[in-house]
Amino acid sequence: MHLSQSHEPMLPRCWALLGLVLMAASLPEVHGGEPGKPVDFNREIRPILAKKCYACHGPDEAKRARGLRLDQREAAVKPLKSGETAIVPGDPDASALITRITEEDETLRMPPRKLGPRLAAAEIDLLTRWVKSGAEYTPHWAYLPPRVARVPVVAHPAWARTPIDRFIAARIEQAGLELSPEADRDILARRLSLDLRGLPPTLDELDRIVHDSAPDWYERAVDRFLADPSFGERWARMWLDLARYADSAGYGSDPLRLNIWPYRDWVVNAFNRNLPYDRFTLLQLAGDLLEHPTLEDRFATAFHRNTMTNTEGGTDDEEWRVAAVKDRVDTTMQVWMGLTAGCAKCHSHKFDPITQEEYYQLFAFFNQSADADRGDESPTIAAPSPAIQIHNAEIDRALGPLEDRLASSPVDPAKLEAWADQLKPRNSPNRKGVAGDVLAAIDTPVKSRKPDQMKTLERHYRSIAPELKALRDQISALKKRKVAVPSLPVMVELEKGKNRVTHLLRKGNYLDPAQAVHAQTPRALPPFPEGAPGNRLGLAQWLIDARNPLTARVAVNRYWARIFGTGLVETEEDFGVQGEPPSHPELLDWLAIWYRDSGWDNKALLRLIVTSAVYRQSSRTTPLAHNRDPRNRLVSHFPRVRLEAEMVRDQALAASGLLTRKLGGPSVYPPQPAGLWQAAFNGERNWAESQGPERYRRGVYVFWRRTIPYPSMAAFDAPSRELCTIKRTNTNTPLQAFVTLNDPVYVEAARALAQRLIREAHTPRDRAARGLTICLCRQPRAEQVDRLLDLYSAELDRFSKDAQAAAALAGSNAAFAAASPAEQAAWTAVAGVLLNLDGVLTKG
Amino acid sequence: MNLNDSLRFQYARAVSRRQFLKRSQTGLGAIALAQLLTRDGLAPARADEPRAISPLHPLLPRPPAFAPRAKRVIYLHMSGGPPQQELLDDKPALKKYHMQPCPEELLKNQRFAFIQGRPKMLGSPYRFERCGQSGANVSELLPRLRTMVDDLAIVNSMFTDQFNHAPAELFLFTGAPRNGSAAMGSWITYGLGSENQDLPGFVVLISGGTDPTGGKALWSTGYLPSVFQGVQCRSVGDPILYVGDPQGMSRADRRRTLDALGKLNQYELEEFGDPETLTRISQYELAFRMQISVPDVMDIRQEPPRILEEYAATPGAASFANNCLLARRLIERGVRYVQLFDWGWDCHGTGAGDDIVIHLPQKCREIDQPIAALLADLKRRGLLEETLVVWGGEFGRTSMNEARGGSKFLGRDHHPHCFSIWMAGGGIKPGVTVGATDELGYHITDNPVSVHDLQATILHLLGLDAWKLTYPSLGLDQRLIGPEGDARVHKELLA
Repeated sequence: MHLSQSHEPMLPRCWALLGLVLMAASLPEVHGGEPGKPVDFNREIRPILAKKCYACHGPDEAKRARGLRLDQREAAVKPLKSGETAIVPGDPDASALITRITEEDETLRMPPRKLGPRLAAAEIDLLTRWVKSGAEYTPHWAYLPPRVARVPVVAHPAWARTPIDRFIAARIEQAGLELSPEADRDILARRLSLDLRGLPPTLDELDRIVHDSAPDWYERAVDRFLADPSFGERWARMWLDLARYADSAGYGSDPLRLNIWPYRDWVVNAFNRNLPYDRFTLLQLAGDLLEHPTLEDRFATAFHRNTMTNTEGGTDDEEWRVAAVKDRVDTTMQVWMGLTAGCAKCHSHKFDPITQEEYYQLFAFFNQSADADRGDESPTIAAPSPAIQIHNAEIDRALGPLEDRLASSPVDPAKLEAWADQLKPRNSPNRKGVAGDVLAAIDTPVKSRKPDQMKTLERHYRSIAPELKALRDQISALKKRKVAVPSLPVMVELEKGKNRVTHLLRKGNYLDPAQAVHAQTPRALPPFPEGAPGNRLGLAQWLIDARNPLTARVAVNRYWARIFGTGLVETEEDFGVQGEPPSHPELLDWLAIWYRDSGWDNKALLRLIVTSAVYRQSSRTTPLAHNRDPRNRLVSHFPRVRLEAEMVRDQALAASGLLTRKLGGPSVYPPQPAGLWQAAFNGERNWAESQGPERYRRGVYVFWRRTIPYPSMAAFDAPSRELCTIKRTNTNTPLQAFVTLNDPVYVEAARALAQRLIREAHTPRDRAARGLTICLCRQPRAEQVDRLLDLYSAELDRFSKDAQAAAALAGSNAAFAAASPAEQAAWTAVAGVLLNLDGVLTKG
Repeated sequence: MNLNDSLRFQYARAVSRRQFLKRSQTGLGAIALAQLLTRDGLAPARADEPRAISPLHPLLPRPPAFAPRAKRVIYLHMSGGPPQQELLDDKPALKKYHMQPCPEELLKNQRFAFIQGRPKMLGSPYRFERCGQSGANVSELLPRLRTMVDDLAIVNSMFTDQFNHAPAELFLFTGAPRNGSAAMGSWITYGLGSENQDLPGFVVLISGGTDPTGGKALWSTGYLPSVFQGVQCRSVGDPILYVGDPQGMSRADRRRTLDALGKLNQYELEEFGDPETLTRISQYELAFRMQISVPDVMDIRQEPPRILEEYAATPGAASFANNCLLARRLIERGVRYVQLFDWGWDCHGTGAGDDIVIHLPQKCREIDQPIAALLADLKRRGLLEETLVVWGGEFGRTSMNEARGGSKFLGRDHHPHCFSIWMAGGGIKPGVTVGATDELGYHITDNPVSVHDLQATILHLLGLDAWKLTYPSLGLDQRLIGPEGDARVHKELLA
């Protein structure tokens, strides 16, 4: 609801005042022209036309009113049937566009009241001046190729470490703000570690960075983090939101998809081996269509098998197959080009140049794969991923000694004979299912048995002997943990001759096909590469073609946003006409060109960004910066941003020492409250809680069921992954406090952290200080330590008087004798505070 | 003034103004506060931002666009699709054609979830009776509701375009049959905030049994800020996930830990000057208050025995009856939107567990008394006038017997073309029956009410304009009633 409008009936004049104040508070760069300055069509005019006019006078031919089209100059300056002309360049008074927006008669004034707010005076002024100056149109910036910009000259060149810095500094200087000084080393260590691998630095790593005397200490730290296998886990997390990766199929019954995780591992691995983005793109969209695809190339195509499958009773598979294909179009256009093609499935896009026909031409690229919303997710391939091989080999290693032990366990002859006696009667029901050679040995009188017959008997006896049950159980439990080779759903093209004919679907309805269309890319976007095949492979080649104006921009913007919290284009999901223009257009283009020229090198791009002086700034806010640029769009200091859901979990596990750093494998089931898996129509209700080290694995491995997401992740804004999510929202709610204060996972982490503090330091002061260092990764201040000590002594006092409460909070740590239950409980309370500190939940 | 002082000053100024505005007791004051906080730089300030949301108090009440008829909503959803022919839409002709083959023209171009071949018509085994002064025609399966008909507006001409549960529920509650849109409760709390800052503004209560087919997406915020997400409160275990302190930790312990946390966070604020730190401090304090307010409101043992009896509520269980009582307790404390989900209304007749002879009367017994009690209780407390109560399912059921696999049990398949709902309370014209279907109960003959119409009407009653309540996402001003905007407020339902 646009406030100014909807409240008019009951609002006194002060509202207008408040509105003005609000306007004044926003950055001057966003809107508002200065009189006398030439009007910039893309920055100042198009947003007004798009927001207020295009819905009825834009690209969508079906909804176009009065034949007037304002998104193209050619059409806008042509006389209309009514005799009026919308735009007479140079003559606002003769231009219906201007007369109609200033019309005094309420019923004639544009835009109609029913469709939204009227134009503001400043907007009318801009439009008038634009018409007066000739009403020139320039194409939307994002559809033009990135331009090589000259790196600006700045007042403090010494501050700059990379070209990025000059682009940022120039704007900061223009705004009369100041750059921030470099942050302390310990702060940088935590920032880098979280950004590059999603984990805080260990105390050793922190120490190494703080005390490294080499001049390139910083670059060395960057390179170590980039080389750490946890790098792939952190950045896979980002990609998995885009890929809408989940461990279930979605919709009503949301059956589990236990075979999809090799795709997740493929992504982790791709980031770790720094697979260039162009190759990464080709493999995921069309790995199966390459000339000689390897098995792993085909794993990558599971990207588009992450679409939902509807298994609800009575559904028409074709309806949901079509829904999945639409999702593939929408996801591809969003992820690679930052365009919201989705609107065009029912009608031509109202703002961006994608007609409904063009939507279905894109649809045609994806309409030839063999999958068809089947319950068995076919087609699939056997995916013996490296992680499975490692996982199973690990189990085999553990099994070996146990099996040897079983095979060599001594057998008590008396017990053996007692058992054999039971089987001697030929009519004994116990003989059923026992192997012939064993029975033959039993039937042979004891004294006549040959040595190998004895061995046969002993071997069999060990497999049933009650005294060996524990060992056998241990072996079978381990064997159960072996992973069967999953059947990974992948993209497979239909055989020649079985191809589908693609139709435009009226209003997107699969039962209402109109004319047939062929695979083609939208006309307003660059041409299809010559000689490229008219299938998914060709589409992928088009996306990574050097002429594509968006792919590189969208990719670098995404990295920028994950590091700095906000993209250079704030609307990461929409680079189209309705999106926000970039805050630093030249920098965006410079980075896009640099990235493409680097060979789409992700690690190099990240290295460039994090070695910049912009990145190394302190995160302290000055009142001046806060007032002039409250949202820090100029990046005059490093932004403090709350950690992502997975990082919150990983950090608590890391700080407490519980974290299992194992790469890949099937998803895990850390504790969650009982009874959450109550999905309808579906027997899969059992959350088989992981035990042992599996319980403490990183968030990226936590089982992701679409209709019932893992609650602590959902509380910290992780999406359901039913659809592609370009950026997560970032909220600050009491439900998050409940998770990090009371979720048993975090209580367990607090207990483990308490034990760690007790183990690693001796006085209460040292323990409190160490806790702060572990969690905040910086030198604690005395007052911080004092407050924790106050809490500790109060809690110690209270728990000393209540043994039951102490035992309950400290948990059953019988083996941990280094401190009394009261001390443990008190430190657990302190550790809970540490894990909830603002500075811990925030990257700064 | 250094930054910290400046922030604290702004904060203190905002707070003292808040107290002033609170005293002024007007909604306007409240939203002005949100604006002041925004202006004072405690919130992202953008002139073109739709509803300015205060980060410190995102649920602060915001004034409606025009005078509201209702302030709060209780939505009673019968997941699965109750059979209208057995409950509210009497079809004597159907009884006449009972077990006759279905006329061919009804089957032309129709898709069914399960029905195959040529099914037989199914007359309702239940008697209807005109009740109350309004003479509304209600089935014997709902004897207590019959006593409340003069408070209801019955709509016999609802329709949808979805005939599978999950898409139909998504359509009903988020305005689109696919995942990704925002729930009605989220839209309403986004538009109006809530009147109790210590409780969630949008609460979801599930009867037990199975969750609704559409799952959590039915109370998801979609593209709206996630603070407007529906919060599921549970009758068994923690009423909100993790609201309870760990074992061994007393309230005093929790207070002390939060005091220490608050002080350390205060140092953090002094050091880095990030206003978000202030927000975090306030959210932890809110969490502390919610640890009392949530278990308190969820504790129905506080109700006198006669009330428990009236609702047929049983403390400690998960049941629809308990949830009706909880709905009243939540509404009473100012919660904006309470969504109940009941289960087991998918009466296909594949067995005794989902037929209309054995199973359906059981389901009706489970809801009839609690609903009548809820309406009566709201009325007694003067809450019904400003509380909108809605009852319904996600679609209707066929006039034919499903007989899946030759089943001998009677039941009906999914039917999107017509179904019945009722509304009561805030702004609803009491004692009317609106819309009609043909003699076989197959198609609407009068006054079709679409799902978007229903949504627009509900928003209208709350003083919100469904066409203008928008939020920008994916390049579009999104809204509950969808981009086409072809919905209609049904004035004939309004008092």
